[in-house]
Amino acid sequence: MQTAKKELIYLYCITKTKPCRSNLEEIGVRAYPVYFQGIYAVVSKVSPDEFSEDNLKKKLADMTWVEKKILQHEKVIEEIMKDATVIPFKFGTVFQTEENVEGLLREHGLEFKSIISELEGKEEWGLKIYCDLEKFKDSLQNEDGKIKEIEKNIAVSNKGKAYFLKKKKDILINNILNERISEYTRDSFDRLKGPSLDAKINKLLSQEVTQKKEKMVLNAAFLVSKKRIKEFDSILTYFKTKYAHKGLEFAWTGPWPPYNFCAIRGQEK
Amino acid sequence: MSDVITKSKDVTLLEVLDRALDKGVVVSGDIVISVADVDLIYIGLKVLLSSVETMERLRGAPLSGAVEEPT
Repeated sequence: MQTAKKELIYLYCITKTKPCRSNLEEIGVRAYPVYFQGIYAVVSKVSPDEFSEDNLKKKLADMTWVEKKILQHEKVIEEIMKDATVIPFKFGTVFQTEENVEGLLREHGLEFKSIISELEGKEEWGLKIYCDLEKFKDSLQNEDGKIKEIEKNIAVSNKGKAYFLKKKKDILINNILNERISEYTRDSFDRLKGPSLDAKINKLLSQEVTQKKEKMVLNAAFLVSKKRIKEFDSILTYFKTKYAHKGLEFAWTGPWPPYNFCAIRGQEK
Repeated sequence: MSDVITKSKDVTLLEVLDRALDKGVVVSGDIVISVADVDLIYIGLKVLLSSVETMERLRGAPLSGAVEEPT
């Protein structure tokens, strides 16, 4: 006997207002709401060929697939976000049945409602600072008194002494570099945190991940009142001018679904 | 929109992975990608999320202040 494969339910986000889904078909997702006592879960049916526990694990090795699906996940949430405050879920949150999704809403409904109320009128923005280390070092050579002094000594020293002085200079440059990067990233984070409602520092991504020549030196997220977003633009413009010659690059992106600011009880981050 | 905002396609994929894989609400759904599976994705991407430890070693531990969760 053949049984049709039962479709699974993929959860994108939760809202309190009925999600408008007119543009979702363009993304290639037939998303629809599951309603329970004042909250909506935005879900779509997915095939067990892709999203059953075993198949999903296999699919995760296929980067083309992951890229497509994770961008879909993001686009669906961004679309819903245009008209409603959302709680975004982690990629790959899948349920066996709609009843199980309702079960989630029943169990966590009050908590979801309170998180959504908290997030109303707010946006998540991200800041990644990248540093061109060589450019930064060059700027130090021209500015730092101690480095200039060693350079003078190198110029008048014999070969052997000059060699050791150069080594000393390299160590000094690296130390100053680390101090300054720390100081500048801290300064940037603190100034942006000022007008924010909440702020978080996340793990740095390696150059292997970012595929950038510049090294990531700060990865941060900010929860911002929509009304105050212009203030951030002027702070960013200020940093850009202030630190450009040091080789610092500011990637300020948003608005994002509030991935960093919607942890439920029992969830650490 | 200010000129400091960059959202090219590559940036977006990186930014989305950084959020939707690592953050977002986690519930005990029937099937949820586990932390181990997320690591698999990163390996597939030749992506290695640097642990705080690695990060500090690479940098000579300068940012110890900055990696703490802000209070």
